[in-house]
Amino acid sequence: MSSGLMAADGTPIVAFEDVRKVYGGVRAVDGLSVELRRGETVALLGPNGAGKSTSLDMLLALRRPTSGRIRMFGSDPYHAVKSGRVGAMLQSGGLMPEVTVRELVTLVAGFHPRPLPVDQTLRRAGIAGLAGRRVDKLSGGQTQRVRFALAIVGESDLIVLDEPTTAMDVETRQAFWANMNAEVAGGRTLLFATHYLEEADQAADRILVINQGRLLADGTPAQIKARAGAKRISFRLDHLDPADLARLPALVHLEIRHDLVQIQSTDSDRTLYALLDAGHRPREIEVFSLGLEQAFLAITAADNNHTAAPARTAYAHAGEAT
Amino acid sequence: MNGTLALALAEVRRLGRNKRYSIFSVALPVVLYLVVAPQARHISAYGVGYAAYYMIAMASIGAFSGALTGNAQRISQERKDGWVRQLRLTSLPANAYVLAKVIASMVTTVPSVVIVLALGRFYGGVHLATWKWLAIAGIIWLGALTFAALAVAIGYRFAPDTVQPVAMLVYFAMSILGGLWFALAGWMQKIGQALPTYQITRIGTGLISGGTVSMTSIGIILGWLAAFTMLAVLAVRSTAETL
Repeated sequence: MSSGLMAADGTPIVAFEDVRKVYGGVRAVDGLSVELRRGETVALLGPNGAGKSTSLDMLLALRRPTSGRIRMFGSDPYHAVKSGRVGAMLQSGGLMPEVTVRELVTLVAGFHPRPLPVDQTLRRAGIAGLAGRRVDKLSGGQTQRVRFALAIVGESDLIVLDEPTTAMDVETRQAFWANMNAEVAGGRTLLFATHYLEEADQAADRILVINQGRLLADGTPAQIKARAGAKRISFRLDHLDPADLARLPALVHLEIRHDLVQIQSTDSDRTLYALLDAGHRPREIEVFSLGLEQAFLAITAADNNHTAAPARTAYAHAGEAT
Repeated sequence: MNGTLALALAEVRRLGRNKRYSIFSVALPVVLYLVVAPQARHISAYGVGYAAYYMIAMASIGAFSGALTGNAQRISQERKDGWVRQLRLTSLPANAYVLAKVIASMVTTVPSVVIVLALGRFYGGVHLATWKWLAIAGIIWLGALTFAALAVAIGYRFAPDTVQPVAMLVYFAMSILGGLWFALAGWMQKIGQALPTYQITRIGTGLISGGTVSMTSIGIILGWLAAFTMLAVLAVRSTAETL
């Protein structure tokens, strides 16, 4: 615990230093650098295939980075995991069949250097009622809660969860986050991967947006929304020049369909004044705020476009794609 | 080490609850012995009575099928299901899973060997000095360790959909050519001599008929044990990234 106090002064407990992971020519993680501090609740947010699971696998010493370095609690990931300072729940984590839930939780608690009472763990994970059931006879959501129980069997300083609420219905998900908040209230650090945006918005105090293996944004939910262009401006304009529009200030994302223009902007006033100052007279002007979901889609869409073509411009020919 | 032993104990408990495992490792050799031993009362094999030979063969086959059905398929399945990854996230040492599997295999072999040897004594009428019983049990147990290593190698090398045919192929080739189903002669015996299954049986029959143990036979078994252990280590290492 003394090293836990040392970390409280702002020393990072987890550090990715320019980490890369290449599988057969595909860059799953492409130069990730990020630090986590004690007591933070951090969401790793990204679409499927963004590199979330690979990053967590490397953090948990299940995979080795192709290059770069990961440090956790001042040591390499393998020894940090073996010291019991990390409790983790993986998407791909299986359970031992042919035993009861209580037997399994008792077994895994026995491996932990600082185990918690089994009944307490069962209660916290919401599986006290399943204690006598056989592990291989559970539903998907129940299995997910048993996996969660295995992540909290001991006193760990960091909890890592890979998409913890998949296979859970809305009520179970809410109950899950209520339990989780109680878990981290005591100064534990939580890192979780998700592609549910509202989940990241509600549960996390810091969001890391990741796409194509790269870190696109890092900040509070409010900062992420601002960074993505919190406002959307839409108007109609005849005889428009896309290159001209792309040069507008504070513009994050531009989409043109015939004469309909949609702009995401970090400062809608500035963007709009510049448009008018340039002599344009747009019709049907609308300005509205974006939620985190749209902000996130905008960030990743801009990134995908950026990789495909240098201009941050998307020409949609059918539908209102963002 | 305590964690590894706790895991091994859990594995033993699971195997005890598994019907398929009990059928292959205990019921099959026991039933075969009950049926076949009386039929062959006047035949001898490898210089001993058939009841004595068949007792050793059935005890070995129980240990052999237990290791392959109990471990090879389960290891493959548990790797796919992610239980092996889950264990990697605990404080257990990296090799705990494999060690626990081998220990569990060795422990669960004991009842099947003891039951078949007891059948030989009280049903087959095989009378031996105490040290010979212990030596026979010991050599079959060494065989069980060899099979456990083979099971780890197969379980780590093959995916669940291919592990069953592979395990069956190895099982039948090594048990038939090893003379576990019937005593061998001629060309089959020439091939069989190279196999650990054959050598276990011959050490057993040698102990009964002459009270001596062939060092060549022990050497062949240890050679296979070393080879299977190496295959197992290579197979485990090659999957270190994906587990």
